[in-house]
Amino acid sequence: MRVLVVDDAMFMRRMLSDILEKGGHLICGEAATGKEAVERYKELKPDLVTMDIIMPDMSGIEAVKEIKKMDSEAKILMVSAMGQQALVLEAVQAGALDYVVKPFQPSRVLESIDRIVEK
Amino acid sequence: MESYLELFISELEEYIRQLNKQLLNLESNNRDTSSIIEVFRIFHTIKGMAQTMGLDGLSEVSHSIEDLLDEAKEKGEVSPSLVDFLFIAADLFSKSAVALRNKKELPPVRDILDSMAKIKKGEVLEYYKEEPGTRDIGEIRIKMEKLDTLFNLANELTIARSRLLKLSQTLKDTSLQNLADTASRLISSLQDEVMHLRMLPLTTVFEFFARWFRDEAKQQGKEVSLEIVGGEIEVDRSIVDVLKEPLMHLIRNALDHGIEAPAVQREKGKVVLKAVREKERIRISVIDNGKGIDLEKVRHKAIKNGLLNETEAQHLSQEELFRLLTHPAFSTKDEVTSISGRGIGLDIANSTVGKLGGKLLISSQLGEGSCFTLELPLSLAIIRAMIFKLDGQRFALPLNYIQETFYAHEDMFQTVYHRELFALRDEILPLVRLSDRLGWVGKRGRKSVIVVQTQAKRRGFVIDEIIDEEEVVVKKLDPLLTSPFYSGCSIYADGSPVLILDPRGFG
Repeated sequence: MRVLVVDDAMFMRRMLSDILEKGGHLICGEAATGKEAVERYKELKPDLVTMDIIMPDMSGIEAVKEIKKMDSEAKILMVSAMGQQALVLEAVQAGALDYVVKPFQPSRVLESIDRIVEK
Repeated sequence: MESYLELFISELEEYIRQLNKQLLNLESNNRDTSSIIEVFRIFHTIKGMAQTMGLDGLSEVSHSIEDLLDEAKEKGEVSPSLVDFLFIAADLFSKSAVALRNKKELPPVRDILDSMAKIKKGEVLEYYKEEPGTRDIGEIRIKMEKLDTLFNLANELTIARSRLLKLSQTLKDTSLQNLADTASRLISSLQDEVMHLRMLPLTTVFEFFARWFRDEAKQQGKEVSLEIVGGEIEVDRSIVDVLKEPLMHLIRNALDHGIEAPAVQREKGKVVLKAVREKERIRISVIDNGKGIDLEKVRHKAIKNGLLNETEAQHLSQEELFRLLTHPAFSTKDEVTSISGRGIGLDIANSTVGKLGGKLLISSQLGEGSCFTLELPLSLAIIRAMIFKLDGQRFALPLNYIQETFYAHEDMFQTVYHRELFALRDEILPLVRLSDRLGWVGKRGRKSVIVVQTQAKRRGFVIDEIIDEEEVVVKKLDPLLTSPFYSGCSIYADGSPVLILDPRGFG
């Protein structure tokens, strides 16, 4: 699976990328803001996106909406810090397929991805 | 995890840099919503990172700060005290980054979490105690009541000073006199300093009007700008507190009655809110370039409302006609708008400044504009007063009401229709015998007369003997003793109490 990792903290992107690579996925790109995420999606057409919620420029939720507009089949996994449950719900309504909450267990992230792929 | 640590630390440091930059920005503009959102995002991101690293303390702090900022985001502004607090949080984070780098134990977060719990409960932090030497604290926050206590103590000290000076004069001991002089100088300086602690710049009231004016003008469809001058002048907090209402009436009047509709405007409308300091007094003016006050209309209205008869009206001076505008039931605008009727607002402005020992001055030129000025003392707590005696009892009368004094024998008083008068030069001065009015027995024979000017009248207050002119510290009267004749009390240099007269209470 080709994955686009979106998070404003480089530290988080690196960690997620490592987990995903160890799980046998390929990181095709990274983005640090919502706008960048939309652009990179257009460019890379990844199989899956991990999406943070609170980011500069454009929130993760707006980015989900934009990506869904472009590609209704887009598979997006929300990865957010706790305390943003309401926003996670909004993201799911906007078309995200699942979510994990930081701090996450690597296995939990990989399981979610497997579930999304099965859907 | 270890392999991510370096990345975590360097990114944390970068976020702290950004955080400090945004906080500095918020310190000068606490309503910059993009900064507020950015600060919120930074803490949120740090929280996510800290959680992932298993740094529970830091993530707990970030999480609580997010909660505090949620409210700020909604209101679109952060309080200056919250900004101060966030600086402290930023420092805690940078100390944590240093500790992580040096593989040391992280600084404790208990104190900062406790402070946040207090902030959430609405308690204002006096100041957050830092470990000594870590940061130079240039400013601290003090509760207003503590300042008031300090202020009262300094005032008590002023009274003690007067007693000390009087005593040293009586004893004529040189070394005591020297000591008394030194103590007196120090007490004066202390008094000044404490007085200044209570001073606030007028901007605290003025800035409110900038926005309010824009909205009001828009609502009335008037093309007019507001210029604010002198906001940096500092006055006592007790004055700042009560200025807002009278100023609002004056500015509203300027908008409503002065500034004309765009269709008939001669030039672009302009209202100036201007403060000027003159020695111990301050003058705050509301000046407009509108249509001005039509004195003929004022005259007609006064007759129509039964305030004056035709003859009286013709003899009133310009100043007296302007003064009529402050009469409670006066309005020159034909229909009183929902927004303001000239009379009511001016009546309130007039009585408010009156209570503060100030006055409202009005001037206007038909077709050119009007100027309403509130003249006030800079501070209310200490006033210069004349101390006089009546039936052995001492009283104080604020100097700002006094125009002149003279001796007169009772034989020179004339009685017309049961009212006592005195022919002072070419003026007939109505007299008020304070002994009668206050229920004291004045001595017979030679008297002193103090000529007192209040907004309404000029009168002679008949008393026994003038003693001195002094600075007195005004204290509130016990509610049980309140009377319209007195505005407060003070302690005289010899320790005896003195009642302060309020000439406006004598009708």
